[in-house]
Amino acid sequence: MTNAVVQLLSGLTTAATLFTVASGLTLVFGAMRVINFAHGSYYMYGAFLAATVVGGGGGKLWFALLVGPVAVGLLGAASEVLIMRRIYAREHLTQLLATFALFLILADAALWVWGGAFRSVPRPPLLSGTVPIGAASFPAYNLFVIAVAVVVGVLLWFLLQRTTAGWSIRAAAEDRETLAATGVNVQRLFTLVFVLGSVLAAVAGVVVAPLVTVAPGMDIGILVSAFIVAVIGGLGSVPGAAIGAVVLGLFQAGGVLWVPQWVSAFPYLAMILVLVVRPWGLLGTAER
Amino acid sequence: MTETTQAATTPSALDPGDHGVVDRLTRVQLAVAVLGVVALALIGARFSVTTIMLVENILIIGLFGVATNLLLGYGGLVSFGQAAFFGLGSYVVALNWAHLGQSFWLAFVVAPVVGAVIAVPVGALALRTRRLYFALITLAFSQLFATIAHKWYSVTKGDNGIFGAMLPETLAEPRTGFMFVLAVVVIALFMLWKVTASPFGMSLRATRENRERAAALGIDVYRHQLIAFVISGFFCALAGALLVVHDQAAYPQLLDWTTSGTPVFAAVIGGMYSFLGPVVGAAIYQLGHDLTVRYTDAWQFVLGFVLLAVVLFAPDGVATLLRTGRWRAWLRTRRGER
Repeated sequence: MTNAVVQLLSGLTTAATLFTVASGLTLVFGAMRVINFAHGSYYMYGAFLAATVVGGGGGKLWFALLVGPVAVGLLGAASEVLIMRRIYAREHLTQLLATFALFLILADAALWVWGGAFRSVPRPPLLSGTVPIGAASFPAYNLFVIAVAVVVGVLLWFLLQRTTAGWSIRAAAEDRETLAATGVNVQRLFTLVFVLGSVLAAVAGVVVAPLVTVAPGMDIGILVSAFIVAVIGGLGSVPGAAIGAVVLGLFQAGGVLWVPQWVSAFPYLAMILVLVVRPWGLLGTAER
Repeated sequence: MTETTQAATTPSALDPGDHGVVDRLTRVQLAVAVLGVVALALIGARFSVTTIMLVENILIIGLFGVATNLLLGYGGLVSFGQAAFFGLGSYVVALNWAHLGQSFWLAFVVAPVVGAVIAVPVGALALRTRRLYFALITLAFSQLFATIAHKWYSVTKGDNGIFGAMLPETLAEPRTGFMFVLAVVVIALFMLWKVTASPFGMSLRATRENRERAAALGIDVYRHQLIAFVISGFFCALAGALLVVHDQAAYPQLLDWTTSGTPVFAAVIGGMYSFLGPVVGAAIYQLGHDLTVRYTDAWQFVLGFVLLAVVLFAPDGVATLLRTGRWRAWLRTRRGER
């Protein structure tokens, strides 16, 4: 029983990171109908910035949680103004290739700035202990990661459902011409949504940094996972991303126990299965 | 908002439009094609082994690109999973050598057939989705295959891949190997060209231009797309089998979605609305790669900027740019401005 709870929590830790990254991806898609291949790069930059800021002592992760998202938010703003803005009205292929190009550029730029070394980021002292669960114990930091995802989820829900800006974002997904006619500056709205998406990825990157090895290649790993989560949930749906993340996180935690060799194939199978049954994901809307 | 609306009305060449594709070979084109093949054969006979290997690589990626472009340019289907078939082709030949010990030639002939057979269920499932979801489900298939190759250590040797002297002696010799690759690529391209120029190819293009209208005209869209997917799988796997002649290896990276990107880049850089565009693109891609890595290790950086430039400013690709002579007009306006 205790073991099951620990396993569950470890699955939810994975799910938490996946959700935080995928929510940004799906938010951007929801408003602008663009899938961003560079989304994983913002996550990696978040983790690298955390490694740089924290350096030796673990206390400054809180500072990294500020610096990382702000710096990556600026990078996101630059990406939006210089590239994304030109491709919203273009074909999917154009969008995929332009953002893929951005992904390549950011990957080499990161290599140039941070080098190819593997880094580890210590946990902040406050969260370095464990929490007893029955006879077993669970790392306190993992609970923090889960809490961050919950906070992100609640804030996103509040933003989208209870604020004027959220109303505009949802309206942009429906009909951006009409939205513009009501006097909303759609251009600026899109920039803000894109920055928010990149900030979410960076938050996930900073928060996950103490749990993983920070190294080049993080971008591509998380990108594919975030695609899977967002697609399973339905592109554009934040609650869908939450479902997709939990499904993936729990199955990975369970799969490690039963079929460790094949657990990495599971996400792809899950995505294929969902798309075969519902070609637009669980909570997505059919493409017009 | 004005800028967004402007962007929407600016004719984008990547959007399906009135892209005529030349279907009958004019005498000039035929002559150019024959001369091209003769020139390539001369390269094979005369040039250094380094050059031969480079051109061989371009030919293989070119075939991979044209096979992928059957979906991309002709079917309007963005697949990010063609590496699944490319890698499969390599693996069929390599696995035969490692486990079955049948002749190379048999495995080489079987490889594209395996690609086509696997493409039937993959295509049948993937084509249930549309547009972006299609791109992502094909990507998932590519990753699934890569994971299997990566994890099934007892058969595939996992990440190490299968390396070894798996070629018959004649092909292991670079010059005959090159001639073999050249011959197979030329034959394969001719077959693919026949496909695109056939009534089937016309209907496929109609489904790209306007799915609903094509369906209303009685074209079974799903069926046409599935057939195109299977043909593409066949030739992607053939290109993969040819890569064994070049590399004498098969490894999981070949099945990976980033490998799936290569033929898409080749098609877009060279021009996806021109039959040989992907070959031109493959040449630019491979030459660019080999030149870049000689001076810097920032290859992805350079590729990224080239891709951005092509996608944003020359979305028709280089081949179309050359064919339509639009670059001359562009140059003229430039000079006029000065």
